[in-house]
Amino acid sequence: MLNNQVANTVIDHALSLGADFAELFIERNQVNAINSLSSEVQSVQSGIDFGIGIRMIYGNKVLYGYTNKNDETELKKIASALAAKDLRDPTTSSTSFNFIGPTDLHPVGLPLSQGSEVASKVAYLLKADAAARKASNLISQTRGICMQRQQAIELFNSEGLHTSDTRHYIRTSLTAIASDGSEQATGSRTEGGLQGWEIHEHIDASATGDEAARQALVNLSAKPCPSGRMPVVIGNGFGGVIFHEACGHLLETTSVAKKASVFHDQMGEMIAHSAVSAVDDGTLTKEWGSINIDDEGMETRKTQLIKDGKLTSFLVDRLGAQQTGFDRTGSGRRESYKFAPASRMRNTFIEAGKNSFEDMISSMERGIYASHMGGGSVQPGTGEFNFAVTEGYYVENGKIQHPVKAATLISTGPAVLREISMVGSDFALASGMCGSVSGAVPTSVGQATLKVDDILVGGNA
Amino acid sequence: MSAQPNDNQKLAEHVLSKVKSSGATGDLIVDAGESLSLKARDGELEEYKVTSSQIFGLRVIKDGRVGTAYSEASDSDALDSMVEQALINASFARVEEFEKISNSDDTLATDNALLCPSDAVSIDEKIEFSLALESKLAGMDKVKNVPYNGVQDVTGQRQVFTSNGLNAQSKSRTCLSFAYALVEEGDVNAMEGLGQAARIFPALDADTLVKQVHLNTLSILHGKPVPSKHYDVIFNAETQAEVFHVFASMFSGKSAKDGVNPMRDKVGEAIADPRLTILDNPSLTDGFGYALFDAEGTATDKLALVDQGSLASLIHNSATAAYFDTQSTGHASRGPKSTLGVGLHQLEIKAGTDSDSSLKAGTYLELVNLTGLHSGANPLSGNFSFGASGYLCRDGIRGQAIRGITVAGNFFEMLNKIAAIGDTPIWDWEHSSLMPSIRFSDVAISG
Repeated sequence: MLNNQVANTVIDHALSLGADFAELFIERNQVNAINSLSSEVQSVQSGIDFGIGIRMIYGNKVLYGYTNKNDETELKKIASALAAKDLRDPTTSSTSFNFIGPTDLHPVGLPLSQGSEVASKVAYLLKADAAARKASNLISQTRGICMQRQQAIELFNSEGLHTSDTRHYIRTSLTAIASDGSEQATGSRTEGGLQGWEIHEHIDASATGDEAARQALVNLSAKPCPSGRMPVVIGNGFGGVIFHEACGHLLETTSVAKKASVFHDQMGEMIAHSAVSAVDDGTLTKEWGSINIDDEGMETRKTQLIKDGKLTSFLVDRLGAQQTGFDRTGSGRRESYKFAPASRMRNTFIEAGKNSFEDMISSMERGIYASHMGGGSVQPGTGEFNFAVTEGYYVENGKIQHPVKAATLISTGPAVLREISMVGSDFALASGMCGSVSGAVPTSVGQATLKVDDILVGGNA
Repeated sequence: MSAQPNDNQKLAEHVLSKVKSSGATGDLIVDAGESLSLKARDGELEEYKVTSSQIFGLRVIKDGRVGTAYSEASDSDALDSMVEQALINASFARVEEFEKISNSDDTLATDNALLCPSDAVSIDEKIEFSLALESKLAGMDKVKNVPYNGVQDVTGQRQVFTSNGLNAQSKSRTCLSFAYALVEEGDVNAMEGLGQAARIFPALDADTLVKQVHLNTLSILHGKPVPSKHYDVIFNAETQAEVFHVFASMFSGKSAKDGVNPMRDKVGEAIADPRLTILDNPSLTDGFGYALFDAEGTATDKLALVDQGSLASLIHNSATAAYFDTQSTGHASRGPKSTLGVGLHQLEIKAGTDSDSSLKAGTYLELVNLTGLHSGANPLSGNFSFGASGYLCRDGIRGQAIRGITVAGNFFEMLNKIAAIGDTPIWDWEHSSLMPSIRFSDVAISG
């Protein structure tokens, strides 16, 4: 996407301004989104983003700028403007580029560049819509979306790196709204992956509609949630957001290097119950959070974060490695050319255990079964996190009693990791978007159903 | 900016002539911006970021069907491709009976002296400000570090052109500073942050921000949960604005048209305590939502949303207004990448009659921080559950600091459980809304 000679000249220019390291990140992002509402196509949107990000590092200081233009003069102008306050004699010289294309772990079948497949996507959305409406006459509205994205990236840096990759993202979801005349409730189902529209061969529109309607109807019948400290069994798949928020963000060197993570000085120590082993893995085939290379050009890998409760690795990007001394883990990620990369999660999950669902539920005298989780957030400095329960049930005397609504779980990362006492075997992954300092990136969360012995449940009963 | 306004007008004429020659109508949004962003760490500059960007967003209507497309490239090939793609997208969409391109052929512009004033502050001085902000806060009692801090100077420009001749331009500047302090004492730590926003850089005040962030964080450091029960609650200016914005879609004519607004059929009905009057007031010049016209070029005006407890109006663009057989309220919103929607400019809640001593009489919780707003609220049902921190107060005096609690309830029911409305409206720090303090009764707190 950028001429080698232009890249070489710009990087040489950046180094001539005294930078220790210089990098060009070129991105062309093609997007197509189809929205359905009321059993019709509401809108079809498409567009192309293009830009180049320039990163220059002086010691631990990052200078970053971007432009929508790809001409040499504009790029050199930005580099000069960035370095205006840091000019010094050159400390290093560039190495000639050596192009290395990554191994493609995620071959695509129907990429966006070969066609938007609008008719097929519309058929999928309307089939899911029909299934949801057929489930009950209490389903009053449905909203669907199918988003496909093709992100082509190219990287050059002053160490001679030249690489490129193309990522294919597909995500589709249906939200159903149930109404009984006085109250309304929602349910949804999302499917996604690092692949093209060939995903439609593996997902069932009717099942998507059925599931969205089922959840909406459950929530319509839900009672106010009891509140206070109690045990909670968290469902598999998106339930993994608990680890993502409670621990994952605290293991990113973006926070660790600033000592803004409660785990910054606990490498090698027991930070979780011995039942907990956790991984961040960018290599899983066609998973939503997978990549071939990170946004600094490093091949992705599997990183064992916690083994049997012991902290074994952080998530480390280039700057994090420089600042903490830990090896890079291929975790430098960014939303687009508009952001400098930062250490971020990929597919992050707690590994499966051996406990049964029945054992977990029957062990609770009074508690909550949070079968489906929503999003959450964390304050890395203190580890305080929160996340929402989108489908939950009150449990009493070891038996599921009735659905509950509007519940939030809050705790701190270190506390909840020690309270995970049982982990099931029904492991699953789920896709989501994670927002942080380098923008919103696709990530997967995952776990088997697990039990937290003590956590604060915020309800309205 | 990446291109001058006159350049964009020529590009817009090129794009819209192709739209018209295809038998369609259309409007084109051109957004451009420049920004400077600084972050400091350990007394040195950690990040220096400059940006310059431009994006074209086209909406076409052909045979009653709407399609949109965008491009960040401004060469004629890219713009021609954008037109072609928007027309293709329109061919798949349903017929939108009520969506039209504005008939206006006005030329509109905002006042740059008001919304985009300049100052003489140099980049060096902004760097000094950034370094001082971080180092002063880092040097305060019990502060372990200042993990998040920054200074931004952002200028944005929007131009809206239509195939019927509308040419509307607005330009604005926002200067921001923010800082979070991580304080620690023994095994206990806390992190709080705050920001400032202004039109010109000299209006930012690092010393005031440092003192406020330090005080806020230190005050909450030894906070503990309170027993679970229902309390009277007063949100501070920031959290109260956040809560109202989370549920702002209750005023959306677009959501009502789409069948996902529970207030759709309640215009004219009592939905809140009769002392509550909520406006959308784009004419308040101190607010950052100040606007003379909306995304369709329709003139804006003050609009009562809730008048003495009754739902007075929803907000409309031309399409939702036509659907409900009413007039646009000047609330059209559209970004280069999005379809036509509606959006509030800036909320204003009318002052009540309760003095500060009356508002804060007896025991109540003052909530100063909410977490999980993006995930813990259901705008459709009104149900919410957020993490929270604050203070147990009595007669206006803060007592025990509170952390590790949740606040839960139903926002629509809460509007009818108002115990008092203060007599002094204040802006939140982002200048997005002007509200007096409201005391809500019987709010579920879990600790």
